[in-house]
Amino acid sequence: MKSVTKFSSTIFSKWTLSAVAIGVTLPAIATTLRYAEDQAPGIVNPVFTTTMTEARVNELVFEGLYTDNEDLATTPDLASSIEVAEDAMSAVISLRQDVIWHDGTGFTAEDVVFTINTMRNPETLSTEVGRVEWIEEVEALDDYSVEITFTSPQPSPQDKLNFKILPHSHFDSETMSRGDSFRTNPIGTGPYRLVQFNDDNSVTFEVFDDYRENVGIDELILREVSDKSYQARLLLYESLEALVRVLPSDLALLQNSRQVELYPYQTNSWWFLGFDETEPPFDDVRVRQAVSQLVDVENLLAPIGTGEILSGPYVKSSPFYNHEVEPWARNDREARLLLEDAGFTQEGGAWERNGEPLSFTITAHQGLETAQMVVINLQSQLRSKGIEVQTEFLDEAEWKVRVWRERDFDSMLSQWSFDRNEDVYSQLHSEGERNFGGYSNDRVDELLDIARNATDPFDKRHALRLVHELIHEDAPMLFLWTLDSYAALSRSTRNVLIHPFYFFTYVGDWRMR
Amino acid sequence: MAVAVLLVQLAIALAPGSAADIVANSEELRDGLTEHWGLDDPFLTRYFRFISELTQGNLGESLTYRAGEPVLSLVARSAPSTMFLVFAALIASISSTFCLAWLTAGKKSISRTMLRTVSVMPVFLAAYLAMVVADSWAFHNTLEVGIQPPEWFPLLLNDSSVKITIAVIVLGLGSSAGSEIHSNIETSIIEIRSSGYIDAARARGARLWPHTLRNIAAPLAALTASRVPYFLGGVIVVEKVLHLNGVGSMLWEACRMRDFPLALGITVLSAAVVCAARLFADLTRVLIDPRLRGTN
Repeated sequence: MKSVTKFSSTIFSKWTLSAVAIGVTLPAIATTLRYAEDQAPGIVNPVFTTTMTEARVNELVFEGLYTDNEDLATTPDLASSIEVAEDAMSAVISLRQDVIWHDGTGFTAEDVVFTINTMRNPETLSTEVGRVEWIEEVEALDDYSVEITFTSPQPSPQDKLNFKILPHSHFDSETMSRGDSFRTNPIGTGPYRLVQFNDDNSVTFEVFDDYRENVGIDELILREVSDKSYQARLLLYESLEALVRVLPSDLALLQNSRQVELYPYQTNSWWFLGFDETEPPFDDVRVRQAVSQLVDVENLLAPIGTGEILSGPYVKSSPFYNHEVEPWARNDREARLLLEDAGFTQEGGAWERNGEPLSFTITAHQGLETAQMVVINLQSQLRSKGIEVQTEFLDEAEWKVRVWRERDFDSMLSQWSFDRNEDVYSQLHSEGERNFGGYSNDRVDELLDIARNATDPFDKRHALRLVHELIHEDAPMLFLWTLDSYAALSRSTRNVLIHPFYFFTYVGDWRMR
Repeated sequence: MAVAVLLVQLAIALAPGSAADIVANSEELRDGLTEHWGLDDPFLTRYFRFISELTQGNLGESLTYRAGEPVLSLVARSAPSTMFLVFAALIASISSTFCLAWLTAGKKSISRTMLRTVSVMPVFLAAYLAMVVADSWAFHNTLEVGIQPPEWFPLLLNDSSVKITIAVIVLGLGSSAGSEIHSNIETSIIEIRSSGYIDAARARGARLWPHTLRNIAAPLAALTASRVPYFLGGVIVVEKVLHLNGVGSMLWEACRMRDFPLALGITVLSAAVVCAARLFADLTRVLIDPRLRGTN
């Protein structure tokens, strides 16, 4: 036995020595990460982004002047530094000089000017125009610096400069078309370049060899798996290496697998039951408060996953969340008093006023995961308290028409997702474009205006915490919860850090065995 | 064709929302896109514009499904897999039911009853059940037994051969297609077998099957052509339920995303396929049956 060991160790050391002597290098094995999306991107151009799938692809291919670091604080990306004027009405941004586009040309200030002007151009019809509306003018001072002037004071403009930059040399004018061939052959400065859209609706990305930093994974493949309930199984079949978001119903399945690791991450999104305040019965704050106190929110949440129950329009980790305000607790007695005060009486168990039953419809979006379960549970809870509830589920187009445009609903179950700025102006200001329920409170409007224009972060935080308190009392919506989100990745991946909104922000640091 | 376009365009006009509603995140953008895409033009203006473009071979560009991509190239990319499914289902359906009808014509048979029982199941339900059973089996083997299903098996992967086989069988036999085709062929065989020339052949002691086959070819061609529209309709559901890429699932998505040029383009091209199939059937009948050549 001893001689066999000695013989094999001799052979091994001789082989190793000869390999070293003749300079043999073993070929590196290319690494591929396949991830699932419900739908392939329709367009890869950050000026026209409409879906989260497209936003995640943009994160691979393009870069902005600023991005989020691992602590979600703003950090330079294509910019190198910024100098904000004393009156906070303009800023000069210096740009990195070592950035190359995927076609080999250099990144310059002209690209920044072109991108901002194109997004602002009304003829472009950009879905991202809101990201640059605060910019009055942009001008290139030289090849690597730009000056931006603002429409109102911006003490920290870098927080809003995370939109993606496009190469001006690929476009003839500052009017961009959705149909431009750029949509399928995008050129960015990001760590990955889009290689092709495949016939099976998958999309292949390859690492950009000239990227200024070392990128760990050689190839990424986006696979379209329209049925979300199949995505977890594909991961277990080893037909995928990553899931962006695990369905709560699949968590147990994946938790028990030795091949898969779950990564929890916190999103800035919350669910709510919104009320139409322009029509009875929800034009009366007492009815809104009564309904809020008849609902057992914990019981609604339990079947669909885990999360934190909220009392206002921010997630609990937000600096704007007012921890002194408690969520509405189930209180049948208080709800009864409020309804009686609002003129309702209970006849044979059912609430009615002037012979009309207390009745409303809950409208929900078909695409909202597990919404069906929540709505049916809500219906059952409120029916048992004497309130007649009907339900309806709308597809994307009908939802936009009925809820967004015509505002034709009694109450709606929905979810809002926010980026790091958590700006709820549009949802809660009386002039907000997404204030679908018609909520109006002069004091809240005033505070939201103060928060928008605040130059001191403390003033902003103070104003928004007050908004939280007032909104809770007015109950224009019953704030429900923020769900715990989990990504799932094969254990062959390492060093994984996930951005709660854009997911792939730190993908360059990911590694695979 | 023009009537088909009119009906589809009418259905699209009546559907709530538009492509602009899907894309826009603000009122201003929605109005801009509505004007840019001509969605607020009067119905007849849109109709005649489409017909005029169609005569020049232009089906327009996708609005939301793959923004800016010509409809023709989108359909051309997906059409081969869908046409393969439709024609494979036609061949499988006609050939299997023909063999059965040959054996059961004029007789009592349990096979006929079984076919009718199985075939009555709707396409969507049959596809779903088949997929769930095969998928659960593969999943059980992978996770619990530890056996990796072979490459061609996993149903969840796009367009695996097991999925395509299920699609062909379900499309060919489901929603009563199998029993209807079987019944038609059986009736034709009975009619031919009881005709005068078969009696004459029988009296001469000649073999009967060549006469039967020759005479059934023409009704078979007509039957095949008549099933094409049904199979084209069924393929939308089958592709969607089995997660297969093709024109059917694309049409589904186009409707969901209110991509009316794409939905309209697919409808027009499907109508063209149906017309071509009928023409092919008529030509085949004329070629097979010399009695039809002298008539109009």
